[in-house]
Amino acid sequence: MNKRFYYFGLLMTVIVLALSSCVKDDTDLDEVIKQYQVQPVEIELDFSALAEAADVPVTDEDDIAYNDYVENTDWNRVINITFNGETATVDGSVPGLAIQRNGAHLTITNIVGPIKFVVSGTTANGSLKFYGDKRFQLLLNGADIANPKGAAINNQGGKSMYIVLAEGSNNHLVDGADYIMVDDEDQKAALFSEGQIIFSGKGSLTVNAVGRGGIRSDDYIRVRPGVKIHVNSTALDGLRANDGITLDGGVINVETSGAGAKGVRSGGPLTINGGRLTAITHGNTRIEVEDVTDTTSCAALYCDTLMTVNRGVIRLKATGDGGKGVNAKQNVVICGGSLEAVATGTAEDKKPKGVKIDGNFSISAGYFYAYSKRSDPMEVLGTTDVAAGYKTLDHGPKLLIIAY
Amino acid sequence: MLMVCSALLPTPSLADDAGLIVSAGTSHKFNKKLTAGFDAEFRSRNNFRTAERVSLEANMSYKLLPWLKAGVSYALLIENNQETLSYHDDNTYNNWRPSYWGVRHRFNVMLTGSYKVQRVELSLRERWQYTYRPSKMIDSFDFDEGEWEDHEVKGKGKNVLRSRLQLDWDIPKCKFDPYASVEFHTSKKLDKTRIIAGVNYALKKKHNFKLYYRYQLTNGDPNIHMLGMGYSFKF
Repeated sequence: MNKRFYYFGLLMTVIVLALSSCVKDDTDLDEVIKQYQVQPVEIELDFSALAEAADVPVTDEDDIAYNDYVENTDWNRVINITFNGETATVDGSVPGLAIQRNGAHLTITNIVGPIKFVVSGTTANGSLKFYGDKRFQLLLNGADIANPKGAAINNQGGKSMYIVLAEGSNNHLVDGADYIMVDDEDQKAALFSEGQIIFSGKGSLTVNAVGRGGIRSDDYIRVRPGVKIHVNSTALDGLRANDGITLDGGVINVETSGAGAKGVRSGGPLTINGGRLTAITHGNTRIEVEDVTDTTSCAALYCDTLMTVNRGVIRLKATGDGGKGVNAKQNVVICGGSLEAVATGTAEDKKPKGVKIDGNFSISAGYFYAYSKRSDPMEVLGTTDVAAGYKTLDHGPKLLIIAY
Repeated sequence: MLMVCSALLPTPSLADDAGLIVSAGTSHKFNKKLTAGFDAEFRSRNNFRTAERVSLEANMSYKLLPWLKAGVSYALLIENNQETLSYHDDNTYNNWRPSYWGVRHRFNVMLTGSYKVQRVELSLRERWQYTYRPSKMIDSFDFDEGEWEDHEVKGKGKNVLRSRLQLDWDIPKCKFDPYASVEFHTSKKLDKTRIIAGVNYALKKKHNFKLYYRYQLTNGDPNIHMLGMGYSFKF
């Protein structure tokens, strides 16, 4: 009897122990962790060739874009400028055109009319500065211009500056860390213009900015197919225009490392019709303390007004604290193309978001990808409209994909 | 018997936990004053479903006076440490450290004074308890980084004073002896209070069984209902 009792007690104890130890009381987070472990797409600067459709100029004079096409102007007045170290030679003359030389620093005043400047050669201490409200063409054909005291090219005129990159040419602009300023004049970037800048041609342009921005217009910027632009700015914004940016094509790579700097920044409508834009910012949030504390985070793409994507490939990455892939202050409309935005920065001063939109967001075609390592992949303060017909819609704490 | 006792227990509230304590031990009385023993214990939590601790203890006691006993013991505790999960201010996940098994070493020095009135014995036990946790490398998941990280739980020691007041009732001609106690665990503040009610059953003086209910109020953690069962063999 006693033995049976002991055995029964022992058996019960073993059963209880076995049952007790078989269940874990941890929160079931396996699926959640999988969502948090998702890795973003690799986004790096991409200089590879891009097959683009033929660039057909607008020929209708009533078209608002007519004057953006360098082909629609007669360029029968030509000046050749060749840099050679500390000097520059100027070939050709146009009555009424004034060219002032100071070593390799040329100041050109044009009150005549459309003039084509063909620029080549190398200088480590030179620049081109333009005055006069007349449109002009800069055909860069192997130009390598560095200005230790300011912008390499500075257009103070309010009309169009057509920058044509000669086919197969490699052109290089560098500014200086400290700019010498002139009263009542702006000088905001290594390549600066008060008027419009229209890029065309089939060559390449590299801009290295250490003092201020890379390329900037106080008007608008248009980039046409065939162009290759690479901007590297360690100070301010890479590519910026006050009144809008239109990307019709080309291969554009922008990289910035300044605190609060934007890769591409448009104060007016930003329209992307083609090409491949890669913009990467590495800077952290800029904090300015005066009467009040002002914090400004980086954004690979920043737009103050309407942003529209019709075609093209847009790849954006922000790696610094609080950096955004896209920071749009108004509506964003995607009708096609591909937009990938990745934020991998920390969230100490600002929250890093893949895409942040203060207005409405709508997508009716194309591919949309947003990722943030340490915050929401996407934030839309207005409405979100995803048209019917999308194939996938993956949503997690760090990743959002919409594909048609 | 287990099922019956479980049914008699109050249903734990949502905030409370419940578990089981199963122990077995042996002791030897070398003379009228000196006794030494060895105990093994298992505990569970999470409403009896998750193993919490396995411990092995060696102990020795010496009767200084007829009413005063001194003792020392060492216990090796192998514990299943509960997970910790933290959140950001906006309620998103911050960090998760899953449960893990770890070792602790515990040393006890105690004095027990007792006073018997007819068939009721009142005893007061004061126990100084020192527990050392060696350092250990464990994994935790950082939701911000989206990756598992090695994390060192640093070694540390803790001193606790345990004060237990117990009443034992020797019922005439009955092999079941009920008892009740209350115990306070104090370090820098009152950490735990344990209230116990149980019964001892002796079989031929060598075999002793006990069954008890313990309610533990813990400062900052859920309170715990425990069902305890023990067996000891004296030789």
